[in-house]
Amino acid sequence: MDPFLLTVWIVRILFLGLLYLFLFRIARALVGDLRAAAREPGAELGRLVVVTSPAGEPAEGTSLALDAIATIGRDVNNAVVVEDQFVSAEHAILTFRGRNWYVEDLGSTNGTFINGSPVDGVAPVGFGDVVQVGQVRLRLERPRSDAGRR
Amino acid sequence: MTAATASLPAIFGGIRPRARWRETKLLAVVAATILVGSVSLELTRQVAVPGEATGLHPANPLHLAIYLGLLLVAHVVLILSGRRMDQILFPTVAMLGGISLLLMERLPRNLVVQSVGPWKLGLGDVQLAWLILSFVLATGLAVTVRSDRWLRLYKYTWAAAGVALLLATFVLGDEVNGQRLSLTLGPISGQPSELLKVILVVFLAGYLSENRPLLVEESTRVGPISLPPLPFLAPMVAMWAIALGIVVVQRDLGAALLFFTVFLALLYAATGRPGYVVMGVLLFLVGAFVMYQLVPTVRVRVDIWLDPFKDRTGTGYQVIQSLYAFARGGLLGTGLGAGLPTVNGVLPIPAVHTDFPLAALGEELGLVGIMAILGLFLVVIERGLRIAASAADDFRAILAAGLALVIGTQAFIIAAGNLKLIPLTGITLPFISYGGSSLLVNGIIVGLLLALSDRGVEPPPPPRRPGRLARLTGLGRPAAAHPGPAAARSGPSVPVPPRTPSGAAELAEPGGGDGG
Repeated sequence: MDPFLLTVWIVRILFLGLLYLFLFRIARALVGDLRAAAREPGAELGRLVVVTSPAGEPAEGTSLALDAIATIGRDVNNAVVVEDQFVSAEHAILTFRGRNWYVEDLGSTNGTFINGSPVDGVAPVGFGDVVQVGQVRLRLERPRSDAGRR
Repeated sequence: MTAATASLPAIFGGIRPRARWRETKLLAVVAATILVGSVSLELTRQVAVPGEATGLHPANPLHLAIYLGLLLVAHVVLILSGRRMDQILFPTVAMLGGISLLLMERLPRNLVVQSVGPWKLGLGDVQLAWLILSFVLATGLAVTVRSDRWLRLYKYTWAAAGVALLLATFVLGDEVNGQRLSLTLGPISGQPSELLKVILVVFLAGYLSENRPLLVEESTRVGPISLPPLPFLAPMVAMWAIALGIVVVQRDLGAALLFFTVFLALLYAATGRPGYVVMGVLLFLVGAFVMYQLVPTVRVRVDIWLDPFKDRTGTGYQVIQSLYAFARGGLLGTGLGAGLPTVNGVLPIPAVHTDFPLAALGEELGLVGIMAILGLFLVVIERGLRIAASAADDFRAILAAGLALVIGTQAFIIAAGNLKLIPLTGITLPFISYGGSSLLVNGIIVGLLLALSDRGVEPPPPPRRPGRLARLTGLGRPAAAHPGPAAARSGPSVPVPPRTPSGAAELAEPGGGDGG
């Protein structure tokens, strides 16, 4: 075969090959992205800021990152441990479903309140709402990644 | 901020570059591909028998250098902007643009001739100029758009502008080939339907994100399909009427199909209810049937689609030649520059640079080549949906999804038309077809998508109350039976979060801020 024609043919195939190399590179980047997203330890979905805490544990002004499920109570196994004599061992649970946060009272002795009104069953909590357990008041805030540019 | 930039000269005051290695590597592959492509084109030109009319002309290496330089400049600007934007979208678009440039360099120069002052510009020159403007627009928007307020708050203004543009085209448009598509204002001439598609997406993003909770609510049942409250069907009917109007007055089937498809896709994305899609498709079928009966253009297009060989030298000619071109291409294609034999000195497909670029690419790059090109469009859609999935709120999510779907849907409508899967509609293949309006608007779309992909943009404003329509009909109000906070179940009445600046200030660490 004429070497010149062979070169033309090889260059032609090389062009197509490079097109696929490009797509392959992108595919690899996408797969890498997905893996990284899967490995990432649950991105923060919201924060609880301690507004008032008479017992000082947690301290006022503390800001706690929340996963999709966060239990509140006096027991040390809770995601948010609250040291207050009016708080039950397992007091309430905050859950993130779809695009909203919900709070549920876990049968506590003194009840859970949103902006002062008692929670009956499961109730939605908006960002900016204050959740009260015992004497401790906690404000739900947007996740920090949305708070501003780094 | 000054400490971080101390190493840079003073004129670069606020600039904080951020490396984009992934984009750099992908752009390197793009550059290599385009270079190899032009070498392939040049070699083919040398092989070609001199007397044979392939329409080839000496390639202009300067065009290639300018295009690669353009990519480099755009890349550097994106790095200097320091924003954390998507790194895959721009190389993908650059690859599509490069393929377009190779194709336009290869097609006969005299398909398009424009005189600017003393210069006579051919097809490749003009396309390169539009590509430059398009990428400048894309990077410009990507770097400068830091807030979506101007899109979010003025959705009805945008909609009014869109309708005005449409009416202006109806009344003042220039008629070409029985289609009334372009509008000439002084020295500027363009196709408003290209711009309309962006305006449509902006409006739909605003409308749907605001009324989403109400659209999801069920209240009317017709047989097995549950419909939303009737007042909210108005936009669907209005959209349908606009699409039909475009068909009747402009004879622009492609734009009508594109608008309606994107509308249905976004409606489904916002509500997740298949009932809307079923209803939309039914409306579409009714509309299509009526149009087939009433509008001759529609009937001609459908008849060509059913049997192009019925009128093989007349209306069906281009479609038949397109099919032949795909067939000649086979699996690997004839090679860049080796396809498209002319018939009596004319290209067999007159509209090859606008409506049929895929046929030309299918012949010269083969099935393997067009699969790769369709793959590039899939990547654009994937990036758009990914940007949508990680968006901070509904408006941005719907906006990003809509912008990407516009490009993707358009590509698939014209690709399917070229392949005779659906009736041919004259719209452009994004970033590949020749055409200023199309390239500029697609540049705007890519710029907005890049800007939206930056997670650091201004936080979205708090959710607003539902539209006036919802308040009038009383559907947006929480049910009175639920006492206390439980009533806040539906989206619109969720308590308004604190404005971000104050919210950020109350956080324990003052590190965030909104920067500058």
